[in-house]
Amino acid sequence: MIEVDRVEKRYGDRLAVESASFSIRQRETFVLLGRSGSGKTTALKMLNRLVEPTSGIIRIFGDPITARPAEELRRSIGYAIQDVGLFPHYTVRENVAVVPKLLGWDERRIRARVDELLEHFGLPPDRYANARPRELSGGQQQRVGLARALAADPPLVLLDEPFSALDPITRREVQREFFRLAENLDKTFVLVTHDVAEAVAFGDRICLFEAGRIEQMGTPRELVLEPRNDFVRSFFDTGRLELELRVVSLAELAPYLARAPRLEATDVVEFSATASLHDVLEHPLIAAGRALSVRGEDGRILAIARAAALLDAFYARRRVEPGG
Amino acid sequence: MSALSSFIRGHGRELVAQLSQHLVLTVAALALAAALGLPLGLWLTRNRRLATAVLGGAGVIQTIPSLALLGFLIPFTGIGAAPAILALFLYALLPIVRNTIVGVESTPSAVKEAAAGMGMTDLQVLGRVELPLAAPVIFAGIRTATVVAVGVATLAALVGGGGLGVYIFRGISLANTTMILAGAIPAAGLSLLLDAILGRIERRPGAPLVPVLLLAALLSLAFVGRRTAFGPSEGRFRIGVQPEFVERPDGYAGLSARYGLRARPVELDHGLVYLALVEHRVDAVIGYSTDGEIAAFGLRVLADDRHYFPPYFAAPLVRSATLRAHPELRRALSQLSFRLDEKTMARLNARVEHEAEAVARVAEEFLRAAGLPPGPHRRGPSADVVVGSKPFAEQYLLAEMFADLIETYTGLSVRLETGLGGTKICFEALAKGAIDVYPEYTGTGLYAILGAALDHDGTAPARDAQAVYDHVKREFARRFDMEWLPPLGFANTYAVIVRNDGGELSRVRTASELSAALAE
Repeated sequence: MIEVDRVEKRYGDRLAVESASFSIRQRETFVLLGRSGSGKTTALKMLNRLVEPTSGIIRIFGDPITARPAEELRRSIGYAIQDVGLFPHYTVRENVAVVPKLLGWDERRIRARVDELLEHFGLPPDRYANARPRELSGGQQQRVGLARALAADPPLVLLDEPFSALDPITRREVQREFFRLAENLDKTFVLVTHDVAEAVAFGDRICLFEAGRIEQMGTPRELVLEPRNDFVRSFFDTGRLELELRVVSLAELAPYLARAPRLEATDVVEFSATASLHDVLEHPLIAAGRALSVRGEDGRILAIARAAALLDAFYARRRVEPGG
Repeated sequence: MSALSSFIRGHGRELVAQLSQHLVLTVAALALAAALGLPLGLWLTRNRRLATAVLGGAGVIQTIPSLALLGFLIPFTGIGAAPAILALFLYALLPIVRNTIVGVESTPSAVKEAAAGMGMTDLQVLGRVELPLAAPVIFAGIRTATVVAVGVATLAALVGGGGLGVYIFRGISLANTTMILAGAIPAAGLSLLLDAILGRIERRPGAPLVPVLLLAALLSLAFVGRRTAFGPSEGRFRIGVQPEFVERPDGYAGLSARYGLRARPVELDHGLVYLALVEHRVDAVIGYSTDGEIAAFGLRVLADDRHYFPPYFAAPLVRSATLRAHPELRRALSQLSFRLDEKTMARLNARVEHEAEAVARVAEEFLRAAGLPPGPHRRGPSADVVVGSKPFAEQYLLAEMFADLIETYTGLSVRLETGLGGTKICFEALAKGAIDVYPEYTGTGLYAILGAALDHDGTAPARDAQAVYDHVKREFARRFDMEWLPPLGFANTYAVIVRNDGGELSRVRTASELSAALAE
């Protein structure tokens, strides 16, 4: 869907992004990961031309993004940022309605769309639509910011660290809510973050930037378990155990399951083989001691086990597989 | 208070005219400044480098003293409302432009980025986001400019632009507190009123500010243009006069009655009357017979052939308390008695005003030539005697001479407080003991301070300079405990002065001939 071809951004002597090439597929969540100053935000802003590349070309659906006016391009792309940037003199409704208005939607359509989005983000319109941004909490403001990014139903949404400024508890709430909603939206997301856990949890693919260069690009599993160099490895070292729990699928663990006592296939929680151990451990019924069954893509039950046995299998695999 | 209310009753129509002139001056200048400053400020937020230069330039204009700025403008704009509006406009521009830039630039960067990221054009970001958010700051700038403009507009009185400053400056020259208040209180009220109106507008968002302001500016300017009585009209003989001359009992009304003179007085600052004359903005002026400009510009003094202007002496006016404490002062200052004749004084004035010689040097050279060589200066911040003066060349010179003489012929130390703004300020300073002595004119003492009225046939009570001196000396001692020391010699009288450039008036030598020429 998006082709970034040898794109560079130079500020005077400093090279913010050095000959970056990557492509983003439709309906995936593509993460630009890196420390501050690594070039990830510059890379994102080149996609909606808030930053113009010094050289290289970017295509969306095959057309160079420079083919039409920048404003027109931006109206077709959702955009949410860390500091939210709600317009303080607008109500919540007016804030969400900005892009539809710019696109000339009629009033009734805008109204219905805003109501729908506010409802989705847990901000009942009758209570919040006429509030001013300053009357909202930080989490509520960012929800409005995200609703605003989705308002005109753009196929592509750029997210510049939208969760980073929130406190940890609110952050998890807003993240989950957003990606649960996003899953059903048939949209492409490009997410900039410095938070490794966020990248691994929500990204379909991750592109790791350092000093303006792409160090590695691939699935979370590839970056966590098959780092191309020491930098990538060390980048994912903090909280490695949790990251691995997230990227290792149940299908991979099946061979390492000990011959456990046979369990009845009744009264178990069923997971797909592509689920991660992290998904399993977070499930409330598993946490309460219930066993689980793993159903393969072909519909066969691969295993029935308790969480403890899966953890044993995880450690057994870790001793022999790469990245362990 | 009752003096004020009776003054207002007596001058009601004139006061209303001045108030409306003041309002028009202020509103026209402000509306122009806002109508131009607002778009300029907005444009400059998009051209940051230029903004620094423009703000710097506007800041420099702001530091030019108002009267000096008016002086610069007169050669280009003439006198009347035009230079006043232009000067007010220039003063009002800085706060408006600066606040516009500051207001727009204080929009949080996240808000600007979001606005651009949503796909707003630069104009939409400006109009829908930055401008509404900057509105309170911009309004604060306009309100600051308003208060400044109402105050500065009083100076319009000194360039023939009218307004409430007319009473203020006449009052200062004539030591008339009631008259000062009659100008100052409405000015303050006007300032509060305009500020309140702007406050109202500010609370109503969505007011189409720029068009409204432009309309106000156009209406005001049209008003200014129509009211010919407001600015100097062409084809009519204009006489430039100091504000006080209009109101003095020995002033304009009597002059025009005595000679049957049909002309229009234009009130100007004393420092500007000659400039206006030389620049052909007025046709004649009323000046002092000892003014240095007469010689410097080659002007002609018309003879007062019907003896309207009484001759007045200049003399040191001293606090009697100071004389009692330091009796030696009397001898020291009396040495100047009758040492300065009119020609000498005019020559000394010209050296200071037009040959840019230092006051101290001119004073010292004169004293040396007069056989009164001054000793070394012993001046300092704490002094036994404080010498004051009004703000023009002759007064600076006389104060310097007084100081030299006191230091040379007494053991006292002296501090100078020169350039005090007019009769009222000098006299009050003397009465309060802030100064001990300053040069004053017996005519001013008689009419401005004692307030003597002309007798019924329009003549002064005393035609004789010595008689006026004796009268004033007696009355000041009795009423104010002040003493007039012996006169310096020159008789300083008002005079009708014209250009000597061979125009229609080239053969006019006397005030009667002028009146006859104008009647034709």
